[in-house]
Amino acid sequence: MASQFKVAEKRSLLETFREADESLRLPAIAPPVTYPLETLVPQVRQQTPAVGQRATRPDGRLHGLGQTRYIDDLAFPGMLYAKIKRAGVSSARIKSIDTREAEAMPGVMAVLTGREIPVNSFGPSLKDQPVLADTLVFHAGDGVAAVAALTEQIALEALDKIKVEYEIMPAVYDPVEAMKDDAHKVHGPNSNIYARKVIRKGDIEKGFAASDHIFEGRFSTQMVEHVPLEPHATIAQWDANGRVTIHSTLGRITLGRADVARTLKLPISRIRIVATIVGGNFGGKNEITQEPVLALLSKKTGRPVKGTFTRTEEFIATTTRHPIIMDFKTGVTKDGKILARKVRLVLDGGAYCSWSETTLGKACILSAGPYNIDNLLAEAFVVYTNKTMTGAMRGFGAPQVCFAYESQMDDIAAALNIDPLDIRLLNAFEEGSPSPTGQVLHSVVLKDSLLQAAQRFGWKEPQQ
Amino acid sequence: MANVTLNVNGETRTASAPPETTLLKLLRENFNLTGAKLGCDVGDCGACTVIVDGKPVNACLMLAGQADGREVLTIEGLATRDKLHPLQQAFEDRASLQCGFCGPGVIMAAKALLDEIPDPSVPEIRDALSGNLCRCTGYTKMIEAIQDAARTLRGKPADKAA
Repeated sequence: MASQFKVAEKRSLLETFREADESLRLPAIAPPVTYPLETLVPQVRQQTPAVGQRATRPDGRLHGLGQTRYIDDLAFPGMLYAKIKRAGVSSARIKSIDTREAEAMPGVMAVLTGREIPVNSFGPSLKDQPVLADTLVFHAGDGVAAVAALTEQIALEALDKIKVEYEIMPAVYDPVEAMKDDAHKVHGPNSNIYARKVIRKGDIEKGFAASDHIFEGRFSTQMVEHVPLEPHATIAQWDANGRVTIHSTLGRITLGRADVARTLKLPISRIRIVATIVGGNFGGKNEITQEPVLALLSKKTGRPVKGTFTRTEEFIATTTRHPIIMDFKTGVTKDGKILARKVRLVLDGGAYCSWSETTLGKACILSAGPYNIDNLLAEAFVVYTNKTMTGAMRGFGAPQVCFAYESQMDDIAAALNIDPLDIRLLNAFEEGSPSPTGQVLHSVVLKDSLLQAAQRFGWKEPQQ
Repeated sequence: MANVTLNVNGETRTASAPPETTLLKLLRENFNLTGAKLGCDVGDCGACTVIVDGKPVNACLMLAGQADGREVLTIEGLATRDKLHPLQQAFEDRASLQCGFCGPGVIMAAKALLDEIPDPSVPEIRDALSGNLCRCTGYTKMIEAIQDAARTLRGKPADKAA
């Protein structure tokens, strides 16, 4: 009897457990969920509630309190300060670098030259840029040696003690000159033209033949520096396990990590890049600059090393916007309809490729402007010169060509006595217009935007 | 090495620094007040603006020794534990700062302006910010925020000393 009772008790206990367990389970088949058949999808270009609202930034308070920590606001125990000696000559062969006097200075912990860098070249596409120039100097902002010292002041003094002997070589500064066969070749024996792009659409000869007027003009833009308020700054720490931690103002840390790994000949897993809030980028902090140099100085000294560019270095040793020489030839009917356009762009690439290929492509594709042109020939070249390298900057070549095609548009309007707004409306892209490369464009609101803008600022009102 | 004693944000502080040390370097490296930034080191950009004896100065152009015995106010001295300064509040509400690097300098320049002129006109604000460069914002929202803060400060005269 007693055992039977116990069995029953056990069963009921197990049943309680089973029930408890069951209640935690999800049903074997989920109850059907009904989705609304009509979802609320805002109409294209419908004004959403967010438009016109004031938005605060999540980092705004710390910025205003002065508590945001940019790279230069960080310090690590035992940190050294690094400075880089700039060549100061734009085209030369380095005969010798004598660092002995600098090394002997009290407070100087290490000196580094280009020969000590495992793989002394980098670049987003062409690997044509040395981290520190070792045999040849390609532009005046090239680094030739670096010093790590206890204070910035000592590092600066040590730079003066480094003796570099140069054999000055011919140089080329004008991109059009650089395209000539007899020009000094900045890199290698062949040509200074290192990338080109051609877009052909329709038949420009036919287009020009059918035109009533042909307008020709040369437009050029100058070199522009990004001038972020925060200069490039980096802190590198090479630890005893052979891992490198780099705090940097880099905007593209993944790309930077690959570049640092390549130049240092380290597996990428040994490189850690920490990026904090960047004090302005605008495209100028998209690639590595001094990161491998500081990493190697840290390896030599066993201490964290910080490097902050001076404003001068920002101008001479970081990328800038491509100056472009733009030849535009445009054929129009007497009403102002564009029938044909021939564009030739010469981009001044400076001493290194950097992001030139991207800039070249974008400038070439956009050189026709937002206008329907059936017959187009756009040719673009980017050439080496012995100047500060040009690279990514807001718009990648789009602002330069916009300046050219809109200036010529105004010239045409003035010559034909057409309202500048009307000539743009006559030629502007519409919904479904093909771009110069044949892409069919959607959500084109160019004409609406032009008309609304003209109405808002009273374009048609009589001028005072 | 030279000894410098100065009043920073209401506190008397002493440091020993090489004679070539600028006030900016002293604040940033000796006192760890990194709010004032080094942007150009030649007095063009204004990212290092602090207030010395009531006047805005470029801390990168003033030697630490020149600030000896004087009263220095930095961005860290504006807010109290419970309350942002009306300028900081207005800059936050208006999202006047983007990358923020010029922010501390701009706010200090604005503070010096509002201390002198409680109800500044837009040209007066622009004039006061003429020594502060910003590459992100285009200044419009900063000017609006300074006008907001001026209104707040005028509404509560007691707060003005903050």
